[in-house]
Amino acid sequence: MSAVLDELAAGGVRLAVPLLLASAGELLSERAGVLNLSVEGMMLTGAFAGAAGALASGSAAVGVLTALAAGLTVALLQAVLSVTLRADQIVTGITINALALGGTTYGARLLFGDGAADSVPGFDPMPVPVLHDLPVLGPALFEQSALGYLACAVTGALAVGLARRTPWGLAIDAVGEDATTADRCGLPVRAVRYAVVLLTGAVSALAGAQLALSEVHAFSDNITAGIGYLAVVAVIAGRWRAWPTVLACLFFGVVQALQFAAPALGLHVSAPLLTTLPYLFALLAVSGLVGRSRAPAALTVPFVRGT
Amino acid sequence: MTLSLAPPRPLSRLRHPSVLAAGAALVTVGLGAALVVAAGTDPATAWAALEEGMFGSPYSVGTSLNSAAVLALIATGFSVAHRAGLVNVGGEGQLCAGGLAAAATGLALPPQVPTALGVPLTLVAGFLAGGLWAWLAAVLRTRRGTSEVITTLLLNFVGVGAVSVAVHEEGLLRQPVTSSETLPQSEALPAGAHLPLIAGAESPATVIVAVAAVAVVVTAVVLRFTGTGLRLTAVGHSPSASARLGLPVARLQEGGLGVAGGLAGLAGACLVATAPYVLAEHFSSGYGFTGLVVGLLARGSLIAVAAVSLLLGFLTSGGINLQLAAGVPASSVQIVQSVLVLLIAATMLWSNRRTGAAT
Repeated sequence: MSAVLDELAAGGVRLAVPLLLASAGELLSERAGVLNLSVEGMMLTGAFAGAAGALASGSAAVGVLTALAAGLTVALLQAVLSVTLRADQIVTGITINALALGGTTYGARLLFGDGAADSVPGFDPMPVPVLHDLPVLGPALFEQSALGYLACAVTGALAVGLARRTPWGLAIDAVGEDATTADRCGLPVRAVRYAVVLLTGAVSALAGAQLALSEVHAFSDNITAGIGYLAVVAVIAGRWRAWPTVLACLFFGVVQALQFAAPALGLHVSAPLLTTLPYLFALLAVSGLVGRSRAPAALTVPFVRGT
Repeated sequence: MTLSLAPPRPLSRLRHPSVLAAGAALVTVGLGAALVVAAGTDPATAWAALEEGMFGSPYSVGTSLNSAAVLALIATGFSVAHRAGLVNVGGEGQLCAGGLAAAATGLALPPQVPTALGVPLTLVAGFLAGGLWAWLAAVLRTRRGTSEVITTLLLNFVGVGAVSVAVHEEGLLRQPVTSSETLPQSEALPAGAHLPLIAGAESPATVIVAVAAVAVVVTAVVLRFTGTGLRLTAVGHSPSASARLGLPVARLQEGGLGVAGGLAGLAGACLVATAPYVLAEHFSSGYGFTGLVVGLLARGSLIAVAAVSLLLGFLTSGGINLQLAAGVPASSVQIVQSVLVLLIAATMLWSNRRTGAAT
C-alpha cells in the first residue's frame, strides 16, 4: 500500500514539475493579456533542441542552453506576431504548435536518423541527504535531477518575484487589465508583453528540456503530447492566481499518475477518463461553479495606441 | 473598432491582398523546395508527387474535396458565431460530439435500414450533438459571463476524451474484444448509414461535398440578405445597443454558437459515415483546429471560407502522396502549411484598414 502511495506521489510530482514551470510562465503571459497557446510548441522545441544540443556536445548542460535558445526563438516569433503585428493570438498559437510539431518531427528525421534519439546525455537523480528518507514526500520531492531542482527554484522565483503586489507584478496586471490606461500612466505596454512572452518561452523550453533530459534521456516525436496545453488549462483552472494554479498542476500530476497506480490499487478506472479529468475540472472552475473566476480583461486583445 | 478616414497611403498598392497572397505563396513554395532538397529528394520528383496527390486521379481529387468539405463546414459555423460576436474555438470538441452521436445512432439502427432513412438520421444526430456541445458554452457565456473562447477550448479536450472513453469501453461503443489485437474502435456502421458517393466508384467524394457547398451558400445568403443575418450582425457589433433595440441578445448568441457547433457536429458525423465507417480515437485528426484557422483567416467572408478550405484540403492530400510516392516526410507539408497560415495572419494588419481585432 505504501509502495503504491510512494509511486503515486513520485509520479504526480514527476509530471507536475514541467507543468508547474510552464504554467508559471503562462500565468504571467495571460496576466499581461497574451493568451500564449504556443507553450506546447515552446516546450516541444525546447525538448528537441535540448536533446540535439546534448547529443552533439555530449554535455547535458549545453543541451539546456540550446533548449533555452530555441525556446526564446519560438517566443520571439509569437511575440512579434501577437504584439507587434497584432495577429490573432489563437490562430498564431495553434499554428506555431503545428509548426513546432512539424519542425521537430522533420528535424528528428534529419538529425537522429530513425527519428528518435535514445541515450542522450542527461541529468541523473541527486537525492538530498536526510530529506529523501522522509516517507512518501521524500522520494517524490527530494530525488530529482539538478534540472528538476532548478525548475522548482525558477518556478518559485517567478511566483514570488512577479506576484501581484510587487512593482513588476503590478505592471504586468495593469497591462493585462487595461492596456490603454497603463500606457497613459507611462508603462511600456509592448515591452512588458514582449518580456513576459520571452520569459514564457525560456521557462517552457526548460520544462521541455526537463522532459527530454531529466526523465527519459531521449527525444521522440511529439514528446510533450499536450502537456503545454495542460499548462494553459492549469492557469485557467487556477483562475489566473498563483497558488490555485500550483494546486491545479499538482492535482493534474496526481490524476495522471493514477493511471499507472490504479491497477496496483485494484481499481478499474478508464485511462481516457482520467486524461479528461483536468479539463472537466478547469471547466467547472472557470464557469464560476467553484468560486468566482475572472480572466484578465485584455486577454487576447492586442494593444494599439490611440483607441 | 477604429474608423480610418485618412486617404490611402502610396504604399497601399503594395499592400493589396492579392500582392500579399502572391508574396506568401512565393515564400512557402521556396520553403517547401528547401525542405524537399534538405530531405534528399529531387524537387521535380517531389513536385510531380504533390501534383499527382492533388489532381492526379479521381481518387486524389475526391479525397481532397472531402477534406475541404469538412473544413468548410467547421469554418462556416465559425463565421456564423463570429457574426454574433462570439469566437468558437471548440470545433474539434463539437466535431467529436457529433461523431460520437452519429456513431451511436448509426449503430442503433437496424442493419437493413434504407439509405434514405439511415443517412439523414445519422447526420441529424451529429448536428444536434455538436450544437448541444457548443450551446453549453453559449449558455455559460450568456448566463454567467464566462468567456466562450476558454470554455469552447476546454470542451475540445473533453470531447476528444469522451470519444476516447467511448471506444475503449466495451459497455459503450467499443467493438467486441475477441483478442488482444482488437482495435479500440466502434463496429462498422450499417450500410444504410454510409454516405453515398457522388462521382462514381473511383472517386471517394461523398455527399458531404454537396452538403458543405449548400451550407456555405445558404449561410452566405442568410447572413447577407435576411433579417436574422442583420440581427446577428447587430448583436455582434454591440450587444448593449441591440438589447436596447429589443433584440433577444442571449437567444441570438446561443443560436449563433449553437449553429456553429451543429455544423462542426455535422462534419464529425460525415467523417464517421465515410469509409472505414467506424468511430476511432483521433478520427477527427485535427480537422477542428484547422477548420478554426480557416474560419479566422476568412474573417466572415464565405467566399474566402470556400477558397481557403479548398487550398488546405488539396494541400493536405497532396502532402500525403508526397510522403508515399517521393519519400518526403509528411511533416514538411505541415511546416509549409503552418508557415503559410502564419504569413497570412501576420500580414492581415496591412491588408485590412480595420485594425481593431474583433476578438
